[in-house]
Amino acid sequence: MLRLPALTLRLAILSAFAVFFAVPVLWLILAPTKADSALVTASPLSFGSFHQLSLAWHHLDRFSDHIYRRWIYNSLYYALSATAITLAVSVPAGYGLAFGKFPGRRLLLSLTLVVMIIPAAALVLPIFLELNAMHLLGRSLSVILPFSFFPFGVYLAYIYYATALPPGLLDAARVDGCSEVQTFVRVALPLAKPVVALVFFFSFVADWNNFFLPLTVLADSNQYPIQVGLSDLLSSTPSFNPAQGGGGQTVDIFRPELALATLIAIVPVAIVFLVSQRALVRGLVGGAVKE
Amino acid sequence: MRGLRVPRGLPFVLPYLPFLIVFGIAPTIYALDLAFTNATGGWAWFHNFVRTFDDYRFVPAFKHILLYTSVWLAMLVVIVVGLALLLHGRANRVSSTFRFIFYMPGALAGAASVLVWLFMLDPVVSPGRFLLQHVLGATLFAQSIAPGNLPFIFAMIAFWTGAGGWIVVMYGALNTIPHDLEEAARIDGASPIQIALRLKLPLIRKWIAYMVILSFATGTQLFVEPQLVNEASLGLVPDTWSPNQLAYQLAFRYADFNGAAAIAVDLLFIGLVGAFLIVTRTGLFRTDD
Amino acid sequence: MKINRRAFALVALVAAIAASLVSATAGGAARHAGVSGSLTVWVDSVRLPAAKLYAKTHPNVKLHIVTFDGDGNGATTLQAKIQLWNRTGNGWPDVIFSEQVNDPVWMASKPFDYAANLEGGVFPEKIINQIPKPSIAQCTVNGHLVCVQDNLAPEVLYYNKKLMTQFGYQVPTTWQQWAQIGDDVAKNHPGYIIGTVGDSYGHWLYLWADQCPLSTLKSANTVLINASDPHCTRMASLLDPLIANKSVSDVTVFSPDFAKQYGGDADKVLMMPGPAWYALAVFRDTLKLPAGEWTATTPLRWGTEPVVTGQVGGGPWIISKHTKNMAAAVDFVQWNVAGAKLNTKVANYSAIAPGLPSYTPAATAWLNWLGKDPFFASPPGAAIGKAANQIWQGWGLVTYPDQPVWSNSVVTQLVAGKSLSSLLPALGQGLSQAAQAAGYKVVSK
Repeated sequence: MLRLPALTLRLAILSAFAVFFAVPVLWLILAPTKADSALVTASPLSFGSFHQLSLAWHHLDRFSDHIYRRWIYNSLYYALSATAITLAVSVPAGYGLAFGKFPGRRLLLSLTLVVMIIPAAALVLPIFLELNAMHLLGRSLSVILPFSFFPFGVYLAYIYYATALPPGLLDAARVDGCSEVQTFVRVALPLAKPVVALVFFFSFVADWNNFFLPLTVLADSNQYPIQVGLSDLLSSTPSFNPAQGGGGQTVDIFRPELALATLIAIVPVAIVFLVSQRALVRGLVGGAVKE
Repeated sequence: MRGLRVPRGLPFVLPYLPFLIVFGIAPTIYALDLAFTNATGGWAWFHNFVRTFDDYRFVPAFKHILLYTSVWLAMLVVIVVGLALLLHGRANRVSSTFRFIFYMPGALAGAASVLVWLFMLDPVVSPGRFLLQHVLGATLFAQSIAPGNLPFIFAMIAFWTGAGGWIVVMYGALNTIPHDLEEAARIDGASPIQIALRLKLPLIRKWIAYMVILSFATGTQLFVEPQLVNEASLGLVPDTWSPNQLAYQLAFRYADFNGAAAIAVDLLFIGLVGAFLIVTRTGLFRTDD
Repeated sequence: MKINRRAFALVALVAAIAASLVSATAGGAARHAGVSGSLTVWVDSVRLPAAKLYAKTHPNVKLHIVTFDGDGNGATTLQAKIQLWNRTGNGWPDVIFSEQVNDPVWMASKPFDYAANLEGGVFPEKIINQIPKPSIAQCTVNGHLVCVQDNLAPEVLYYNKKLMTQFGYQVPTTWQQWAQIGDDVAKNHPGYIIGTVGDSYGHWLYLWADQCPLSTLKSANTVLINASDPHCTRMASLLDPLIANKSVSDVTVFSPDFAKQYGGDADKVLMMPGPAWYALAVFRDTLKLPAGEWTATTPLRWGTEPVVTGQVGGGPWIISKHTKNMAAAVDFVQWNVAGAKLNTKVANYSAIAPGLPSYTPAATAWLNWLGKDPFFASPPGAAIGKAANQIWQGWGLVTYPDQPVWSNSVVTQLVAGKSLSSLLPALGQGLSQAAQAAGYKVVSK
């Protein structure tokens, strides 16, 4: 039979892609353990020493009076607050759009889809002017509120409820005498776990990685999230910015420090993935359909 | 409670409305307004569009983004779906290990991914030195990021960070396919490849369309990647490589908000046409039946 | 209105003089009585140690320091932020340091309109008088002084004394002699280099230094760009054979590849035209070349023509026209430019004064300090100090950055094997487009 070659081919393809996906990550993990010069001279995937690692952390932490910690804290604060609001808003909205019967439902759906496709950058400027009118510029709300608008999350919830939740279940609940709210809370919400995981995951990651909006609406580097902070660090690395003249060497931010900054910056997202993964891999459907 | 004649489902949507209006619809209308007016607020017809189109950076930027988006979407559709199908039906542990490896780079989206790839593309420090030298013929960073390579490089970076998330989604979608359907096909004598292509693929079509729409939208919005490569390459990559960057430059370097809005509206138009085509051609709204 | 402004200028003048007297008598560690109140300053991470030292030595001033990317690499950070503050009508920092030497040009123009006019005694004349003319010229926008450079970055010729002696070369004084050595190096000492054109500012090192008119301001809004001028083509023709025979590299000194090939123990750099800050930052700290071999000489000239040179950097201090505490703002800038950099004994002097100070007495102190560094075979100071007055003033600063144009129209093609001469038209065209996009009228003579 063709079984064995097919299996080998399958594994070979998967493994080749695994190498493509994993090697840069592996490099990133190893880079901060080496001195700047060793990045060039030593083998790219070799381990340096823990001493270099702690030295790199020391330099990074010392940068601009511990501003790196501040950036991480800011990112957590913005992304978690916005994602909490997103979840509270988009799961019911998706449910309402999937099973509601009200005028304008299709219009709302289409608008959501349209807004999802609108280039974020196209809206940054008008949002900037709106925030200005609301006197929010330079405040943390100027990042959190726009982040909380996550049409993708609404659409995910909509698609999930529309495909994975049999209307029969809802009807059954209604026949049992549940109100609309009770139906949602008792039937739809418990089944929402996978989609909550999905929305949490996409929203948190999108917020964490957003660069353009905070760059534009925040006034001060102490308020920056880590993504904008990373570009700040990039400009402080002499090899990426000779414009700073001779002083770059005194700041002690070199490639290993930059790699370490990047590595730490992705830890929260990696954790979110691990937490969400279990819910994700169970598939997009809870137990309901399978019975 | 039951006696209230509130249209069914409406209350659930209400909290979403202010967000949709304030951060979705109002800014869009405002962008349109800016695009059709001049700096003093007077009606400008299509002047801003003509003006920005004539800008020497306009056509190259749109060409870049067109090529980039095509390459990226092709990679996504073929490879993501392919890998998800390959993973589906593997032993659970093997499959979840692979999924984890594929996903990991997703944590490095945005600025982080660019920083990593700045190193990956520099033949002196890259673990992929061999490939850079023999496939791209590059011994210098400046050669790796030669102008002709850029659309492919950005597509690869985007694929590297984004594909894993979509593989997880596709895999999840494949799991919604009832087991007995697959079993029935197998009993009918269908090979695994036939099952994958004839049974599984059509059933996840909606998710593929969904991925394509979203990726198309984010693709045309490309900003951070070329922006940071511009910074880090000391200008080897122009700061107006993508239309979004051009809009940003117009708005913030020249304070030309109207021109910037015109480019944003161009992008919006392209996004809508693309979405319309995909929606009508794939029946994305079929859930409504 | 007029009277008010004059009175205000007078107050500022008195305050500034008082402040300068105090700092002149007591050096960096004085307890100032002259200025007080709060002050917000934006600096890059390099300028941070000096700003912190100011805060420590001036407890009366409530200093709020914000670090930012320095606007390096033609970034638009400051444009975006100044528009934000202009729109909100508040939040402007009192003082900004920029890594971009051309930033004050747009800061002093509409719609940004941020930079305060420092003339008429707002900033002490006696300090301005001690700053080299080319530097003052660069900070003069539309006829007004709107900035003070923190450091100067004139180009000189650095050379490896040990290798030059070993190979039997005379230190060149003209570009022609320099090129001749390059030819000989290619034949007899392959692998060694006499410079590189691969930097993002290569055009400043070679074309600015040969008076190539790529950024010559005819008036505030008219710029002369002519890449086919003999001053451009002759330099390109001089460089092309050297690039071809590899005695001039096409890789930036900041790339790992450059360090690997020419730096460290390889020690393959024979000469290099470069700005003042190369002395330690590039040769010692980036390339890690062996100590005791290097020094500098006067900038190269073309044949028998007078010496003129290029420039790479020289970040300026800009004071906000919106500041409510002009006295403290002036004091802060003055202290950074003229006060702190005088005292070479201070603990972290290299962090306080990372480049050649613009204020001549501080420059003298700095160059003396530099000469004592064991990295040099002989003190490079004399050449560097003199070069600050030899920068060609025909290269005007404009609102748009020209480095990206050079990088992307020339450097990317050089590494692909094209000649510099063949790329000059593209460079001229790219610069003209950038100039027109920024609202300049472009003329070719």
